[in-house]
Amino acid sequence: MFSIKLGLKNLTRQKRRNFITILVIAFAFFVFLFLDSLMEGMEEMSFNNIKNYDTGSIQVAHPAYWEDKDKLSLENLIYLNQDIEESIKNMDGILGVSPELRFKANLNNGIDEIAVQGMGISIEQYNEVFATQNHVVEGSMFVPGESKAVIGVSLAELMDLKVNDYITLLVRTKEDTFNTIDLEIAGLLYTPNPMINNGIVFVPLGIARQALNVENGISMMAVKIKKEKEINPTINNINQIIQEKNMNINAYSWRESAKTVIAMSTAQDAETAVILTIILTIGMIGIINNVILSSLERTREIGMMKALGMREWEIVLVFMVEATGIGILGGLAGCLLGAAGVGWIVKYGYDLGYVGGDMSMYGIPIIDKIYGVWDFSSFVFIFFFGIVVALFSSIAPAYWAAHKEPVKAIYHR
Amino acid sequence: MSLLELNKVKKIYQQGKIEVPALRGVDLEVEEGEFTTIFGPSGSGKTTLLNMIGCLDTPTEGEVSLSGKKVSDLSKKALAMVRRFNIGFVFQAYNLIPVLTAYENVEFAIRLTDHSSESQMKEKVLKMLAEVGLKGLESRRPNELSGGEKQRVAIARALVKEPKIVLADEPTANLDSKTAADVVDIMRKMNKELGTTFIFSTHDPAVMKHASRFINLKDGMIFSDERGK
Repeated sequence: MFSIKLGLKNLTRQKRRNFITILVIAFAFFVFLFLDSLMEGMEEMSFNNIKNYDTGSIQVAHPAYWEDKDKLSLENLIYLNQDIEESIKNMDGILGVSPELRFKANLNNGIDEIAVQGMGISIEQYNEVFATQNHVVEGSMFVPGESKAVIGVSLAELMDLKVNDYITLLVRTKEDTFNTIDLEIAGLLYTPNPMINNGIVFVPLGIARQALNVENGISMMAVKIKKEKEINPTINNINQIIQEKNMNINAYSWRESAKTVIAMSTAQDAETAVILTIILTIGMIGIINNVILSSLERTREIGMMKALGMREWEIVLVFMVEATGIGILGGLAGCLLGAAGVGWIVKYGYDLGYVGGDMSMYGIPIIDKIYGVWDFSSFVFIFFFGIVVALFSSIAPAYWAAHKEPVKAIYHR
Repeated sequence: MSLLELNKVKKIYQQGKIEVPALRGVDLEVEEGEFTTIFGPSGSGKTTLLNMIGCLDTPTEGEVSLSGKKVSDLSKKALAMVRRFNIGFVFQAYNLIPVLTAYENVEFAIRLTDHSSESQMKEKVLKMLAEVGLKGLESRRPNELSGGEKQRVAIARALVKEPKIVLADEPTANLDSKTAADVVDIMRKMNKELGTTFIFSTHDPAVMKHASRFINLKDGMIFSDERGK
């Protein structure tokens, strides 16, 4: 069709203006792709840091404890016998189970005192579920039978503590009486999850149970599974085992412990919508501006087309093809720029040192650097989105141009 | 039946609250194959009259008929179709599309009306360009052509769809006298060879003398209408 051919040929007119419009669209697309990659990377890292260092894939707890788990209460603990623990551990797709006793404590270094979260763990089981052991920067994790503690580097720096120093944890027992736990520091941690580094003291489970007087009670049991996509069937299977034993406990997905990050992720969707709206506006303004200027410059040409008997929709088509061509070129350039930007952020990451180095204060468990992720669907989406925006934003100004009276257009009145 | 008939055609432009009459009741009949010039001083209504004949504008009063069919009451869409199939235009400023070659500018017009095969269409376009003396310049863009060559492309574009009538508003106004004479010669040649009716406006007596009919407009009315040789 000749209108399409003419529209495409018109792309070679006003090269500088078209180039600027293409550049503006490309830049807008680049910003979207870069931020989208960064946001998705942040989400992925947050989720991994929660699963690998805090919750595991699944947590098994008493429903009443789960409701107020942040209070770290010693009420509504669960008491699992060996049989149940083994049944869960031996289920298909489960890599490990780790009993935990979480409690409130005050860490005392002999001079100062700070509120922390105590975490009683069975070290061998804990290592099957979590990756914390890989991030011991000084000393080591304690071994079974040792009466030692492990803390984060940040906490150690704050309290001026080193490996082999002694700490005292002031705790309240289940009966609300005071007790203390005196331990030597076995190692210092620097995990990718700043929440772990800043305020948790790991102690052997047996010592914690004894100090808190909870017998063989635990706050919850963390479970690690092989495949994330199997999480819901696995939760159902665990709940079935528990029901068979007539116990009032439940299995929960790690997602329920990651509400802050998931809320952030939802906010990210809103942010993406805002960015898309800005891009839409930028693209629309660029295209509308281009079509209006082109039609003003080509008023006589439009008049000639009308004199030749071209119908309005045929003239509209000429401008729409031209605008869509600009959208496609802008989209391609934007995707190329975006690929370069995303490649960079995936490889080198964004250094959080510029914003304090630690995002835990915003509830996001990430430290040091955020890396982007490749999401090809975003590239495909923004490319076609750009074309559709270009196409639709050209309709009104193209119709305005094509709707001119032939006499007025020919004589440019 | 005449090819073209204008019956008491009036055109009044509204400029704010003032009414400006451009045509004050023009009666005109043009037969097929005539080579007619419309002349007269600036503001006499030449362009307005050509616009009425070319279905680019509609009269305030009166009737315009083409081949016996009344066109002055038609809708914009229908007028576009009348122009598409029946009327060719040649403009003073050529109005060629700068990104298209001479060949494509002519092809553009024929594609609107002709649905014959690619090879037939190509043959017609090349033949028409050769007829107006542009053989060998088909692939040149307008900026690579002289004023006279551009106007020849415009004439070829007007004629390629074989319209009943070709209207030319001051087609030689932007050309030197030698080129202007060449362009009018070509128009006259096509008029004789193809039998296409030409109506053109001009100020130039040297151009005017090529016509076979002379219509003098004055104050929006036909002052004289003479037929020459």
